[in-house]
Order: sequence, then C-alpha cells, then structure tokens
Amino acid sequence: MNGKLAVVLLFLPPALLLFTLFVALPMGEAAWYSIFNWNGYGTPENFVGLKNYELLFQDRAFRTALVNNLLIIAVSLAIQLPLALAMAILLADRFRGAAMFRMIFFVPYILAEVAAGLIWRFVYDGDYGLVAKIATILGFAAPYVLADRDLAMHAILVVIVWKYFGFHMMIYIAGLQQIDPNLYEAAHIDGATGRQVLWRVTLPLLRPTIMLSVFFAVLGSIQFFDLIMPLTKGGPSDSTQTIVTYLYTYGVTRMRIGFGSAVGVVLFVICVAFAFGYNRIKMRDE
Amino acid sequence: MSNSVSYDTPVSIAPFLRYAILFLVAGLVLIPLLATVLGGFKSLGDLRVNPFGLPAQWEWGNYWSILSGPRYWQLLLNSLVISVLTVVLTLAAASMAAFVFAHVRFFGSKFLLQYLLLGLMFPAATAILPLFIKIRDLGLLDTYWGLVLPQVAFGLGMSILLFRNFFRQLPSELFDAALVDGCGYVRFFRYVTLPLSRPILAVVGVIVFVHSWNNYLLPLVVLNRDNIYPWPLGMMAYQGEYSTDWQLVLAFVTLTILPALVMFIVAQKYLVAGLTAGAVKG
Amino acid sequence: MAFRPIIAIGFFLAAGISAAVAADVRVKLLHVEQNPQASAFLKEVARRYAAEHPGASIDIQYLENESYKKKMTTLLQSPDRPNIIYSWGGGVLREQVKAGVIEDLSSAMTGVWRERFSPAAIQAYTLNGKVYGVPMQVSQVGFFYNRDLFAKAGVDAASIKTWDDLLAAVKKLKSAGVTPIIAGGGDKWPIHFYWTHLAIRNGGKSAFEAALRSEGEGFAAVPFVKAGEQLKQLVDLDPFQPGFLGATFPQSSGQFGDGKGAMVLQGNFMLNSMRANSADKKGIPDEKLGWFPFPTTAGGKGDASDTLGGLNGWLVTKGSPIQAVDFLKFFSNPEFQREAAARGFYIPVAKGTQDAITNPILRGIAANIERSRYHQIFYDQMLGPSVGAVVNDVSADIAAKVITPKEAARAVQQAWQLAN
Repeated sequence: MNGKLAVVLLFLPPALLLFTLFVALPMGEAAWYSIFNWNGYGTPENFVGLKNYELLFQDRAFRTALVNNLLIIAVSLAIQLPLALAMAILLADRFRGAAMFRMIFFVPYILAEVAAGLIWRFVYDGDYGLVAKIATILGFAAPYVLADRDLAMHAILVVIVWKYFGFHMMIYIAGLQQIDPNLYEAAHIDGATGRQVLWRVTLPLLRPTIMLSVFFAVLGSIQFFDLIMPLTKGGPSDSTQTIVTYLYTYGVTRMRIGFGSAVGVVLFVICVAFAFGYNRIKMRDE
Repeated sequence: MSNSVSYDTPVSIAPFLRYAILFLVAGLVLIPLLATVLGGFKSLGDLRVNPFGLPAQWEWGNYWSILSGPRYWQLLLNSLVISVLTVVLTLAAASMAAFVFAHVRFFGSKFLLQYLLLGLMFPAATAILPLFIKIRDLGLLDTYWGLVLPQVAFGLGMSILLFRNFFRQLPSELFDAALVDGCGYVRFFRYVTLPLSRPILAVVGVIVFVHSWNNYLLPLVVLNRDNIYPWPLGMMAYQGEYSTDWQLVLAFVTLTILPALVMFIVAQKYLVAGLTAGAVKG
Repeated sequence: MAFRPIIAIGFFLAAGISAAVAADVRVKLLHVEQNPQASAFLKEVARRYAAEHPGASIDIQYLENESYKKKMTTLLQSPDRPNIIYSWGGGVLREQVKAGVIEDLSSAMTGVWRERFSPAAIQAYTLNGKVYGVPMQVSQVGFFYNRDLFAKAGVDAASIKTWDDLLAAVKKLKSAGVTPIIAGGGDKWPIHFYWTHLAIRNGGKSAFEAALRSEGEGFAAVPFVKAGEQLKQLVDLDPFQPGFLGATFPQSSGQFGDGKGAMVLQGNFMLNSMRANSADKKGIPDEKLGWFPFPTTAGGKGDASDTLGGLNGWLVTKGSPIQAVDFLKFFSNPEFQREAAARGFYIPVAKGTQDAITNPILRGIAANIERSRYHQIFYDQMLGPSVGAVVNDVSADIAAKVITPKEAARAVQQAWQLAN
C-alpha cells in the first residue's frame, strides 16, 4: 500500500506537470485569448467576443487554407495511398533488389520536411531548377511554377506524394506480410483472377492497415507547415496557405495573439472532430 | 495456375514489368536528391545550364567553405544537444508514468491516462501562440530548455502509449512474484522493468529523437539567437542569406541531411521499426 | 623574505580583479545589410570603436531582411535580444516604444551629437517629445532603369512625367520584346511602393494625415481607391517579369542587374542588393543606370516634389550597456557618414555629409529628399506591423489580380480601425 502511494507520487508528477504546463494550459489559454484582440504585451484587455472567428471565416486566405487542407487529404487518399499500396504489392515479396527498392522509396520520409521543401524549391525554380531545364529541352519557356497561383498548390501536392508514399508503403508491406499465403493459393485454386484476389481477399484483410494509414495521412495533412514554408511560404497571394501556415503568417509574425489563438482553436476542433469520427468508424468495424 | 515467384502477393507480375516500374519510380524518387547533392559540386554558371548531369568541373570549394566554418558544426551540435535532452527527459517521464498506468490501479487513473493521451489528438501548432507567451513569461525564450520542455510535453502522449502497451505485455508472473517477495513498485521498475525494456526504449528513443531533430515550427517561434539554432533554422537562415547562390544552398542542404541519411543507412532496421512501430502498435 | 610571495599574490590578485572589472562589455548589433562590402564597412567601424575603447566590443550580427522584420516582435521579447537594432521608424517604432523595450536617448542626444542631424531627421525618431533612435540614412523610392534596354525600345526616360506616360512607355517596351518592369512580388513590399506612391500623388500629405486621424473614410477614401485603380491599369498590361509573384527582393534585384527587365521601382538601397545578387556580382554599371522620379497623376493633390522613402536609423534596446549608445554616437560621426556616402552604401543623414556622395543618382536622390516638403516613410513601416502587412498583402493581391481596388482600400481601413 505504501509502495503504491510512493510510486504514484513519484512517477506521475513529472509527466503530469510538463503536460499540464506546456500542453493542456496553453490549449485552454488559446480558447481564452481567442476572444480578445491582443498583441502579446501586458495582459489581454480588448475583449472582442467572437469577432476573431468572424474575421477568420471572412478571410479569403483562410478559406483557401481550409480548401487546401481538404485538397491535401483528398490527394493523399486518392493518389498517395493507392500508389503506396501498389508499390507495397510489388515489393512485399523477397526477390532480388526488393529490400533496396524499399529503402529507396522510404528515403524521402526520413528527410526533415524543411529539407524536402528546400530541395523541391530548387527543383521547381524557374531559373536554375530541374523543371525549368526539362521545359527548355522540350522547347517551352521555363515556367515559374511556384509563382503561379494556379500551379503552385499542385506542385506542392506532388512533393507531398513524393515524401510520404514510402511510409505508407512500409505500413502496407507489414500488413500484407501478415496475410496467410494459403488464402491466395486457395483463391487461385478456386479460379480467381489476380484482380479478384486483390479485391475480394487482400483489401478486406488489409482493412485495419488501411484504416491506420488513412488515420496518419489525414492527421498529417491537417498539420502541414514545414514543407510549405521553404517552397512558397503560403504564397503566391495566399494560394498555398494551409491552416498552420496561415496561423504562423497571420498570427505569429504579426503578433496577433487573439486572432492566432482563434485559428488554433479551429484547428483543434477539426482534429478532435476527426479523431471522434475515426473512432466511431473503428468501433463500428469491431 | 500460379507460377509466381512467391505466394506473398495477390497478383503475380512479370519480373520485367515489375523491375521497369520499380526503376521508374526509384528514378523519380532519387533524381531530386541526386541533383541536390551534385549541385553542391558545381559552379553557379554550370548549375544553371546543367542541373541534371555531373559537374563540368568538380568544385570542392562550396562544400569546403561550409565544412571549414563553425556555422555548420554549431548547428549540428545544437540539434544534438536539444534532441538528446528531449529524448532523455521523454524516456524518463513517459516510462515512469506508463509504468504507473500499466500496473497500479487507483482512483482516477483511467481519467489521468485519458488526459495525458489527449495530447495525441492535436498538434503543437494549435497552441503555439499561448505556448510562446508562456515560454516568454517563464524567461525561457531563446534557451535550449524553452525548446526541450515543450517538445517533451508534446511527445508524452505517444511515448506513454507505447511504453504502457509494452509493459502490459511483459509476463505478469514476474510482477506478481516480485510483489509477493515484498519488492516495492519502484525497485521493480528499476531492476526488472527497465532492463527488460531495452527494445521499447530504443524504439521510443528513435521516434522522439527523429521528431526533435527535424522540428521546425517550435524552434522558429522560440529561438532567435542564431548560435543556438538547430539545423532546420540554420539551413533556412543560410538560404535566406545566399538565396541566389543555389550552388552554396544545395551544398548546405546536402550537408544538413547527411546525418539523417547516414543514420538511416547504418541503422535501417531500427529506424524503420521505430518509425512504423508508432503506426502499427498505436 | 616572507613578504615577497604575499606581494606577488597580491599583485596577481589585483591584476585578476582589474581584468575582471575591465572585462569586455559586449554590445550586440543586429543589421540587415546583405551587401558584403557594406557589412564589412560596419564591421570595420566596430573594430575601430573597440580599438579606441578598450574593454568594449561590438558583436555585429546579420539577419536577412524578411526574417528580420518577421522575427523582430518575438526577438524583442527575448532576454537575449540585441542591444542595437536597425529601424525604419514609423508605426513599428511606436509599437516597440509602447512595449517598453526601447531605450530613451533624449538625455544622450544633446549638443554636438544632436546638431549633426536635421530637425526632420530627429523628428522621425521622436515620440511624445522623447528621442528613441539615431537616424542614419535616407532613401527614396523611384524608378531605376536600364539605359540600354530603354534605348532598344526607343523610350526616353526624361519624357515620362505622368502616370499615363509610364503606361505608354510600358506598352512601348513590351512591343519591343523587352520585359518592362521587374518586381519582387514574393516579398510583397516592393509592390506596395506602387500603391503608396500613387496615393501620395493622388491625395498628398493631407489625405494621409486625415486617414491617420481616422477622419472620413480614412484609407478607404477616394485617393486610396484611385491608387488601386491606377495600379490595376498597370497590372492589366502584364508588365512584370515571369514568376514575379514568387520573386524575392534579392532575387528581383539580381534579375534587374542581369538585365531581365527595363525598370524597377525601388529605393536606392536596391543597388546594394543588385550588386550582391546579380550573376556577375556587379549588375548594371553606373553609367548604364538611369533614374527618374515617380510620375504624377492627373488631378492629383500631391506635390511633384513629394517623396516616398525611408529614414532609417538605429535603436538601443532597454537595459543595454551605455557603450551601445556610445557606439552609435561614434558611428554617426560625419567622417563615417561621408565614407559610406563616398562608397555608395547609403545616403547619410548627417548635415553636410551629402556632398561626399560620388554616385550621380544618389546625389540626385539626396537633393530630392532635401527639397521635399513631404517625405513619406514606407507605409508598411509607418502604419505599424499589422496594418503595414495588410497594405503589402492588398498591393500584391491587386498585382495578382485577386481583389478589386475598392476591396483593397477597404481592407487597409478595416485593419487600421482594428489596430486603433
């Protein structure tokens, strides 16, 4: 009994203290600050109620940010995950070179997002970049991809797929390798074609793995910042803003604590909504 | 009848087609990286006309100018110190808390666990502004601790989860036997749990280290002195200064991702296990 | 003799103590000068100060322009902030003073030191009757142009007097296959020069001061809306270089130096950037470079001699050692101001030093500023950080064709009301 109390009193406080001070409290304070107009000095005095939220949703740049986040989620789900799955299927075997290819595809994932962003900034540069060179070889004028309001976001989506498909591929490979190969053999004996095996056997069995992959993809999609900053900083004309880059640009660098906190609260609500929705679906499966 | 190489895949593909696709994708993946590495070896003029190929003339000066100065090494040192501190603190705090949650039942323990796991639901960005104010008011702006402590705090959720799962999987007979023998919780943790926890310590350590090593947003907000910049901030500062000298910027980028690439090649297995363990076990 | 060791120890102790007392006072200075020669000049001045004042050393640190502006608000709250910082004055200075992080220099800036500067210069750094900064240099925004490219298209710079003249010149350049204008749209503030200068021409000093006093429609008033419309006229001609919306200030300066466009609307500080960022590290040589002032607008209430530009200086942060103030006094010495002028780094503000300027364009600019009765400091600095940022945003948005001139003016007014 004594030992129990000792361990609880000794072992829990560090984590609890750190968490409360640097995570829970700030989150609460974000909600509190968001109803003020405050520049960070002294204490918040200028109560504005829900005005920050009103301004937020009226702002074209913020609406673009929301759309961009949705776009990232959509592309992740529709392009990145299928690509990862395809690569996983190709590489789940042990054949010559499989391990090497797996490592190569995984390399973009281990790079820091900032570094990946800067590398692709070079790739897309209109004067010195790879894209510019390819364009001139093909006879076109070199495009300034990242300065084009219509192209920039798509360019960024390419980088996102490049960076993360390897990670999802690894998750799928782990999942695929847990499937009993006898099931395949049985299906083949029953005369199923490759495609039918894929749809009727593999994918249903991969469902938990896919759910997990989707979870990470969506959660990651909501948070993009490090990748965007070196590439475009949210420009041109806010066409590549995401929620977090918007928060940084319009909240942090301009020291609009109340406004920035409101963005944070919106982000929090989105994350929580997603977490609950995901849990619901997971529980429905179980 | 299937005559495929193995039975692990649902679809069998002709080896030629398989290799063709794989080489194509591998090329697309590697070209940006190779161009970056090679770019550092070119002069600016060469880079402009020849971004893809090998350097017309291998310029060692670009890389050398960065390696021979203190700036680059300072950045790596800062990142190392910050990440090591973060890892040590996280492992300590998280393993201790997880131990309590795994073995000790007391009133409110479930609630406290849910509370700590809340941190998993939202990223640091949501509270970055109040966090900045708090760090400033604590006088920790522009210090290592101002960065390390919040990083630890945000990493606790995932770490506690992983530790707790692992501890739960340790054979419970060990625990029961120890209790019977009168061994207290704390002694048990120190002499039994920890030694057995090497695998999970390594996994969590890797996850936390990599996350801290690559962190950009939090340092950007908290740190201003360029002599304590971790490498992401240092890299962006360098790019801001030499923005039109791409050959220098590419050399710098290559040198800053080199540690990660080296660590990856050396410790492939552990890294992949660590980075995907969070995924599969979570 | 027993005394000797004691004397020896005492001697070393005294030496040690005096060394500790005379330990280096380190003053940290943060600047944004990208040009290596200009920053070397700064370091040289610092070195000379340290040589003449043993025990003090000046630590010169550099931060790139955009990062500097963005980080300043958080930087000033750090316990480890620099002692001397670069300033553009205006509303940003006002915010910094209000936050209590800037040292009051009124008692130090008296007598000979104060006499060095014109009243206008001191005024720019005076708030509530107290002096908070040391003015150092002035700049003016105008059109720099590439003589060769103008000649190629047959455009005569001297004939560009009105806004319509400029639009005509742009059309002429375009039809000759020359990119008319280089702009650093990626950083946004280079574009806000257009909007601001048009507003100055349209409404003059009175319109701006009325807006500052929140009279009438403030920044949504006619002169400002008209400025947006005129900018739109220019934008609709597609005069900018490809990729301008992503080009940073250093990039665009380099592009101008490489001859990628005929003209650029910039402050004279652009010259330093051009030299640092051009492919040949030199850019356009002085004899091939031309300059003309911003054109007038039809029916504008502003005076043709009104100037837009900067009055930049240095501030001392609160709690800094007195050596910081002392160094600024040293640095603003007419001798150094003349040297900087002669080497073309900046246009000095100290009285009587401008005759040392050798570059004809810079001489002309210095004369313009002297003559001007209304020298408007850049809006994005004048109006304070949050409103200034909005001015930059809307200017770039007009250039990107995503908002209307009316929306632009209204956004600025809204931001102004929110901030006050």
